[in-house]
Amino acid sequence: MDEAGIDRGVVMTIVDAPAVNPQALELIAEACAEYPGRLDAFARIHPWYGQESLRLLERAFGLGFKGLKLHPVSTLAHPAGEETLRLIRAAAKHGAPTLFHCGDEPLATPLAVGRAAAACPDATIILGHMGGYFHVDEAIEVAEAHDNVVLESSAMPYPVKIAEAVERIGASRVLYASDGPACSPRIEVEKVRLAGLAPEAEALVFAANALRILDGVR
Amino acid sequence: MDELGVDKAVVCPAKPRAYHLGAANEAIAEIVADSGGRLSGVARVDPLLGDDACAELERAVETLGLRALFLHPWEETFRIADRRVDPIVEVAQRLGVPVIVAAGYPFVSEALQVGALARRFPDVTFVATNGLQLNISGLGQVDSELALADSENLLLQTSGVYREDFIEGVVRRFGARRVLYASSYPLLDPRLEIRRVQWAAFSEPEVEAILGGNARAVFSLDGD
Repeated sequence: MDEAGIDRGVVMTIVDAPAVNPQALELIAEACAEYPGRLDAFARIHPWYGQESLRLLERAFGLGFKGLKLHPVSTLAHPAGEETLRLIRAAAKHGAPTLFHCGDEPLATPLAVGRAAAACPDATIILGHMGGYFHVDEAIEVAEAHDNVVLESSAMPYPVKIAEAVERIGASRVLYASDGPACSPRIEVEKVRLAGLAPEAEALVFAANALRILDGVR
Repeated sequence: MDELGVDKAVVCPAKPRAYHLGAANEAIAEIVADSGGRLSGVARVDPLLGDDACAELERAVETLGLRALFLHPWEETFRIADRRVDPIVEVAQRLGVPVIVAAGYPFVSEALQVGALARRFPDVTFVATNGLQLNISGLGQVDSELALADSENLLLQTSGVYREDFIEGVVRRFGARRVLYASSYPLLDPRLEIRRVQWAAFSEPEVEAILGGNARAVFSLDGD
């Protein structure tokens, strides 16, 4: 983060609680506590554990988490499945966003995640990777169709598509993210800069939008 | 190229609107001829055209002076491991030119499919685009490394590989000789793509090899 000039970041596990690591939430909470003011936490939760999934999400908010992360390729839970929608709505009651992995795989395409956005209009739905390599145009179209959808820039390789997204849906619904440590934050920052946004728009994408979303969590 | 300090580039036909790859190969040859030695060209053929494809590759290399064969299984709609690809690779082998494969496309040019072809032709150099895999979850990386482990004659390009740790891992495990910088321009942005190499954890000799030395060797650019 220091190398890339990043003051604050959002972190999460790569596993879906309670699977694999029953102490996943505590692991993240402890990591954030070690770097006060610099890290915020999202809870990555498997939707298929019924009441246990909901209990974990509430526990996460009790620990100060700021959002829900879902990875349908990992969990095989469809974005618009009832188990998933229940978690999204529970997060939205806290004013918290749901970040989806949104790429080229089945269960994670923009049109699939868009169904969740349509079913949960009060929830902020973030399309991580904004559609990956092949589905970026569809991600922008889904964001045009649903005001509660936000596009997140990590990993997808097209700076020009960041500029196009800002043009079509407005700078207030496009977010920088690194996907680190998988991606280099330095390169991901450079990608946004290469989009050539106006200074006001770039400031929103790099920070102000994320702060607005994070500060809205209660 | 000037903005990024790129001296030479290898160019290939995009999918022509007229679907006539022969004319596209001729256009590439003309661009190369007008480039003052800064561009080298690659011939694109559709291997499903059989003997016509083989004749076109011979013409492109021997008459037009192009330096490699480019296969795009996604846009020409064939599996790279299909045995019907073998005759065109046999021509490439006889002509002594490398084969570039548009790699990472689902169903047609997945890493192990490209690897299967490379194993059938151990004396041909294969260069796979996109790090042998196009998956935003990184799900293709293990297969890519398995394919590289199987075939010394299989190299990969860095274009569009969002995981810098993957590229670094390939260099550590297989050596810098196996990795070539590529921009995939105009699909991708060279200003970003070159950073994937420049900002990775490589030694100076490794960067030199990846940004130029390997391409000079594979595409025989030193005589230009």
